[in-house]
Amino acid sequence: MKKTVVLMDIHEAVKYGEKLGGDYVEIRYENIQRGHVELKDGVFHTLAERHSEGYGVRVLARGAWGFSTTNLNLRRAVEEAVNLAISSSRAVREKIELYETKPSKDRVKSPMKIRPENIGYEEKTEHVLELEKELKKNPLVKSTQIKYEDAHGTKLLVTNEGTEIEWDYNHILQYVWVTGKEGDVMGAARHMIGGVDKGWELFEEFTNEIISKRLHKQLDNQIHGVPVKRGEFPIVAGPIIVGIIAHEALGHLAEADLTINSPFRDMIGKQIAPEFVNMSDRIVPGGFGNNLYDDEGTPVKDVHIIEKGVLKEIMLNREYAKKWNMEPNGHAHAEDYSNPPIIRMRNTVFEKGDHTLEEMIEDIKFGYYMVDFRGGQAELNSSFQVGVQEGYVIENGEIKEPIKDTSISGIAIEALKNIEAVGRDFDIEYGICGKGQSAFVSSGGPHMKFPRSIVVGGEK
Amino acid sequence: MNVIRYGEKFFDELEVQTLHRKEISAKAELNQISSSTSSNLGMSVIRGVKNGKIGISIIDSTEEEKIKRGIERAAKLAMVNKKDEKWPGLPEPGNYHKKDERTGEMGEEDYFVNLITLALKDISERKKDAMVVGAEAGSIYVKTQIVNSNGIDVSQEDSVSMFVLVLMARHGESVTPSIFDLDVTKNPKIDTTKVIDSCLTKLEHAKKVKKADLKEAPVIMEPFALGEILQYALLPAFNGERKVKGTSILGDKLGEKVMDEKIKMIDDPFHEKSVAKLIADDEGVPTRKNTIIEKGVFKGFLWNHYWGKIAGEESTGNGMRSFRTGAMGIGAINLVIEEGKRKVEDIIGDVKNGYIVSSFQGAHSSNPDTGTVAAVANPAFVIEDGKITGSTVFMLSGNVYDLMNSVGEISNDAKPVYMISRGMYPHTLFENVKIAPVTR
Repeated sequence: MKKTVVLMDIHEAVKYGEKLGGDYVEIRYENIQRGHVELKDGVFHTLAERHSEGYGVRVLARGAWGFSTTNLNLRRAVEEAVNLAISSSRAVREKIELYETKPSKDRVKSPMKIRPENIGYEEKTEHVLELEKELKKNPLVKSTQIKYEDAHGTKLLVTNEGTEIEWDYNHILQYVWVTGKEGDVMGAARHMIGGVDKGWELFEEFTNEIISKRLHKQLDNQIHGVPVKRGEFPIVAGPIIVGIIAHEALGHLAEADLTINSPFRDMIGKQIAPEFVNMSDRIVPGGFGNNLYDDEGTPVKDVHIIEKGVLKEIMLNREYAKKWNMEPNGHAHAEDYSNPPIIRMRNTVFEKGDHTLEEMIEDIKFGYYMVDFRGGQAELNSSFQVGVQEGYVIENGEIKEPIKDTSISGIAIEALKNIEAVGRDFDIEYGICGKGQSAFVSSGGPHMKFPRSIVVGGEK
Repeated sequence: MNVIRYGEKFFDELEVQTLHRKEISAKAELNQISSSTSSNLGMSVIRGVKNGKIGISIIDSTEEEKIKRGIERAAKLAMVNKKDEKWPGLPEPGNYHKKDERTGEMGEEDYFVNLITLALKDISERKKDAMVVGAEAGSIYVKTQIVNSNGIDVSQEDSVSMFVLVLMARHGESVTPSIFDLDVTKNPKIDTTKVIDSCLTKLEHAKKVKKADLKEAPVIMEPFALGEILQYALLPAFNGERKVKGTSILGDKLGEKVMDEKIKMIDDPFHEKSVAKLIADDEGVPTRKNTIIEKGVFKGFLWNHYWGKIAGEESTGNGMRSFRTGAMGIGAINLVIEEGKRKVEDIIGDVKNGYIVSSFQGAHSSNPDTGTVAAVANPAFVIEDGKITGSTVFMLSGNVYDLMNSVGEISNDAKPVYMISRGMYPHTLFENVKIAPVTR
């Protein structure tokens, strides 16, 4: 449908929602084309395009939310959203209110240099075939799965408060899974990159050779690595693992809808870590969670979650900003038009310190150096888990043999107090966070040392 | 169907799957109703093949004209694809099981708002310190139709209603883990009482935090926890594609004992306790009962049409499509673990020192190729002298096959698990499980 026609329809629908009783009426529209290329062991079982077009209508009426999504009938969805809100409002004791913000009007352009939509499928298929060829140069590799995805199109947000934002939406994503085998011993490793600011140029930074080299090393480590001892050990975590700890252990607890039910609720303004520890959710160059506005139209701001060891700020949408009496900072995010926005992280990072890796490991008699992750999960009681797909034994101050895959866990509010050193380096990783809905995120930081409070899972 | 005739201009073979999904639900957070939501979405996936080259198009519509445009896009993609030399063709029509005749009712928004309001009142009257982190009650209706150029034309409807409850409480400076339970029913008349009872009982135990002192212990997994571990660490090994590629750890184990003999595992789309019974998979192949494990012996892989033909087998009716990418994979329709003889309460009663786990953190980071598991049991509860005495957090580590070989007992109360994949899982006791305490 033509954009001008859509906009007219949306404005009319917003007014209709107001007329029906909506105090706040928000309509999000998407018209997005996604390309999917999936190569599994030499065969493109999937060469697909997905065209998504539809509306998400969210209405706040009499202190309760109604949300309706459709790709069939916008007017009907508006009626449903208002009716749903009114129906819910009959049972509401404490009315939901929104923090007042200045309406935003903007057109957000994509900063991508080489838009994936301008790359033909011939080149895309050739790229993944080359990557597969590179991966299979190592005889350990028995099977590969490469998923490439890109998207382009328009996202619109219109509210009855006067917000009107149009995004020139783009993303690119590549996920690789390799399975290795030597005799009866198997191993597996994953790699993912993605961009919303960087397009096809991402592959200049992450060449097929770089990705293959990293995955070959991880497969080799897993197949030839030593089993891990289970229990509490000194851990030095590399930037990728540090990033996942930032995301899982602390980031989720600093999402205001979870903060309210977590130990962080009563810790805001208090010292929760040594004063050399700083952590943020912020715009990072190349960050997968970067944006100018969130899905409520609030400008995205850096959130200084931990500053000099003090729990300072949390991530908010307009509803929780009102509850907490804090200014919203642009963290409402919806996976797509068919989901309402909820509070999400963007790029969650520990900030740099002044130690070197060598200084961190020199006094460790026995411990582990954890480098790369596979999955992670948080819980309200601040227990966190991070799957590890690359790690090494530290013995007498030296990094020794690789370990088989494992997990680490801890209670975040205890582990934080025990951070002993923060590195002077910095790197980020790309991921997809699941909190009922998917969201593109980055996480990262410097090397960090946890002399205690981290438990390692192992068979020994 | 008109679209198939239209597509024959572009393709040698064509398959169109349409999906219409309606949902309605009411949600609560922070001890009160927060929102109601509805969705009404149509979607179609077109998979066409020309000279062994595949093109796929996915559109957010079921309208014929839009499907035709999708066919044209899929045809353009097929032209740039490489030929799949092994392409075995699309499936042929088969004989379907009798359709599930139970009507799929959906509740109205007021009904679910009332249901949650009453549940909230019940919770607040019984436990003043219980916080409803989240609750949701609602119905989902899905209608699919699969047609292909070989004559398959099958449609089916499926509807379920659900009540999900997540509670927490504060104790001192700490909080409990989120305590979760759900019930899934065929119609919206959901009895919320048993979910509330279960959550409130666990919440009380969760406030008494203890350290997991044992290095090896008997561990009972509740249905959801068991479902999480099996989904990520075990089920991939049943996938026929992995058998063909030599990446299933069970590749050469057909007919061999791979688990404790108490285990019988069937993919049963028509199980009597199932709330939704599917007669066709996502390729339109009739679903069937497939025995995977019997008395601990591995009986067979699951296949979709493509990998079944490549392996010289038939599809077992386990073609499963990603509606996000259109990719056709292999998955269990309704994995059932056969029940044992005793109630879980009796099994707990016989445990001197051990644990019972409601859910795992990080089950998804298990290694699907090797079966390695290192997941955090949280919430987990301490059993002392046959009674639950408190809660704890611990890391469970090892290999899923070692776990499945150490099954002590299976309960007689299998429960539908819908949140990860569909299945019927009982409580299962594992002996000598390796653990490391996380709670200090």
